[in-house]
Amino acid sequence: MEEILHVFGLEKSLFLFQVVNFLIIAFILKKFLYKPLMKMMDERKNKIEKGLKDAEDAGIALENAAQERQRILADAKADADALGALAKVSLEETKERLTSDAKNRSQQIIDEAKQKAAAEFENMNKQLGAMSVEIAQKVVSKTLAGLFTGDEKEKITARALDKIKKGGYEKSAN
Amino acid sequence: MQISPGVLFTIAGFPVTNTVLVTLIVDVIIVLIVISVYKALSVRPGKLQNAVESITDYFYSATKDIAGDRASFIYPWVLSFFIFILLGNLIEFIPGFESIRFFSPHHPGAEHGIPLLRAATSDLNLTLALAVISVIMSHYYSIKYTGIKSYVNRFFSFKMFGLFFLVGMIELMSEFVKFISFSFRLFGNIFAGDIALAVTNYLFIMMGFEMFVGIIQAFVFAMLTMAFTTVLTEKSH
Repeated sequence: MEEILHVFGLEKSLFLFQVVNFLIIAFILKKFLYKPLMKMMDERKNKIEKGLKDAEDAGIALENAAQERQRILADAKADADALGALAKVSLEETKERLTSDAKNRSQQIIDEAKQKAAAEFENMNKQLGAMSVEIAQKVVSKTLAGLFTGDEKEKITARALDKIKKGGYEKSAN
Repeated sequence: MQISPGVLFTIAGFPVTNTVLVTLIVDVIIVLIVISVYKALSVRPGKLQNAVESITDYFYSATKDIAGDRASFIYPWVLSFFIFILLGNLIEFIPGFESIRFFSPHHPGAEHGIPLLRAATSDLNLTLALAVISVIMSHYYSIKYTGIKSYVNRFFSFKMFGLFFLVGMIELMSEFVKFISFSFRLFGNIFAGDIALAVTNYLFIMMGFEMFVGIIQAFVFAMLTMAFTTVLTEKSH
C-alpha cells in the first residue's frame, strides 16, 4: 500500500497543502467574486425590471394622455359648437333688435319731419295769406285810384279785403 | 514521465513540487482575475466582468434548476471547483510547460532533469484533496440542512425487513468510492493527456483534443459535486 502511495506521489503534507490552498481560493472566490457579482447582477436585474415597468407605465400614461387629449378636444369641440350656436342665436336677436330700433327711429324721424313740414306749411300759409292781402290791397288801391274818393276807396278796400280774407281762410281751411 | 510530481526543492521539510508551483501560479491567476473584476465591478460590465458573469450565471442557473433554493450554498463550491480545475488543466498549454527542465537534487537520476512546470491536476494529491473537499462538503450540508436523524437514516435504516439497511450500506460504500472516482478520473484524464501529448510530440490536433478534455473534466467534476450535494441535501424517506 505504501509503495502504491509512493508511486502516485501521495504525501500527507502535499495533500494538506492542496486542501488548505483550495479552501482559501474558494473563500476568496466566494467573498470577493461571487457575492459582489451576484449583488451587481441582482441590482442590474432590478434596474432592468424597473426600467421595463417604467416604460410600461409611461406607455400607459401616454395612452391615457392621448385619451385625455381626445376627450378634451371632443369637449372643446362640443363647447365651441354650443358657443357658435349661442352666438348665432344672439346675432339673430341683435340683428332683429337693431333692425327694429332702426325702423322705429326712422319712423320717428319721418313723423317728426311730417310734423315739422305741417307746421312749416301752416306758417307759410299764414305768411302767404298776409302777403296776399297786402298785394290785393295794393292792386285794388291802384285800380280804384281815379274812380273813387278816399272814403269810398277805404270802404271798398275793406270789404274786398274781408272777402279775400274770408275766401282765403275758407280755402286754406278746405 | 513519472506519475508522481517532481520535487523541485524543500522548504522546512515541505516538498515544493512542480505541481505545487503551478498550483500557486493558478492561485495568482485566480486572485488577479478576482481583483480585476472586483475593482472594475459595474452595472455596465466590461469584457472580463461579462465573461465571469456569464459563467457565474450559467452555474447558478444550472444549480438552481436542480437544487432549487439550496443553489445559494451549493453553487459557490461548484463554480470554485470548475474555475480552479479548468485553470489547473489548461495552464499546461502555455509554452514552456514540460519543456523547461529543472535539475533537482531530489531526482539525481533524471538525465534531462525534471519539468519545472507540470499541470496542477496531474498530481493525485490535488485531485484527491478536491475529492475529499467535495465529498465532505456535501455531507456537511446534508447534516446541516436535513438534520442528523435524516442523515443517519439514509445509511442506517431497518425498514422493509432489513432491505433498507442493505441499501444504506451500498450507499455508504458509494460515498467512499466517490473519493477514488472523483480523484482518479481527473488525475487519470489529465495525466494520460500529458503522456499522449508527449508521445505525439505536442501534435496540434492532440493539443486541441486535450484542451477539450481539460474543459470537460472540469465541468464533470463540478457537475458531479452539484448532483451529489443536491441528492444528499434532500430529506431521506
